[in-house]
Amino acid sequence: MIDPLAASSRIAGAGMGAQSERMRVISENIANAQSTGQTAGSDPYIRKTITFRTALDRASGTAAVAVREMGEDKAPFKVEYDPGNPAADQNGNVKLPNVNMLIEMADMREANRSYEANLQMIKQTRSMVASIIELLRP
Amino acid sequence: MNPIFLFNLASRQLQHLATRQAVISGNVANANTPGYQARDVTPFRDVLNKTALSMAATHAGHLELDGPAARPARATASDGWDVVHSGNSVNIEEQLMKAGEVSRDQALNSGVVKSFNRMLALSVKSGQ
Repeated sequence: MIDPLAASSRIAGAGMGAQSERMRVISENIANAQSTGQTAGSDPYIRKTITFRTALDRASGTAAVAVREMGEDKAPFKVEYDPGNPAADQNGNVKLPNVNMLIEMADMREANRSYEANLQMIKQTRSMVASIIELLRP
Repeated sequence: MNPIFLFNLASRQLQHLATRQAVISGNVANANTPGYQARDVTPFRDVLNKTALSMAATHAGHLELDGPAARPARATASDGWDVVHSGNSVNIEEQLMKAGEVSRDQALNSGVVKSFNRMLALSVKSGQ
């Protein structure tokens, strides 16, 4: 078993990695909030989702975190009447992505908060290690 | 002369605190994992109460009992402040408060060790 303090930093690092992956998915969703299909009547961009799972950190025997899967949101698309759009079907309706900006923003805030919490754990662990090393100083 | 147990005690508490810090880190990392239950280690007070003082071996035939060898603190599912819809019971504020507790205890511990070490060094120096 490795030193628990080293394990602590490693686990928090895994948490930061997971949250930044989540941040990437959120920015993909926001960037594609208006991406319609290529041809007339085709489906637009589908909102992506991400879920986490607990991963056993074998070196320390504690619970780290990893990405379980990237999924697709099954919510229905928004439909708008816009006959001039190249992606409009014969009735003039355009399918728009099922991305809700409010949800994405709330998700982004949450990811940010979790990331900061993990960062705080790393900082604190580092200061604990520093205070132990300080004992060696005469 | 009585042996000095303080360094042994202090290092055991440090070990306990380090384990607790690792468990709290695991909780924070899993703050958005569905179905994850927040965990914590048994308090140091309980760990300490369960360990008895070891008997001195004054004869070669004496068996050594399982004395104050550091037992790894176990992680148990703790009752978190709230459980969200996905079944996750990690509350980041609660975990950061616990991490603050760990940090404070650790600062106290290393402060005591430092001053005790200084006292020992002082007595050695004045004995010359």
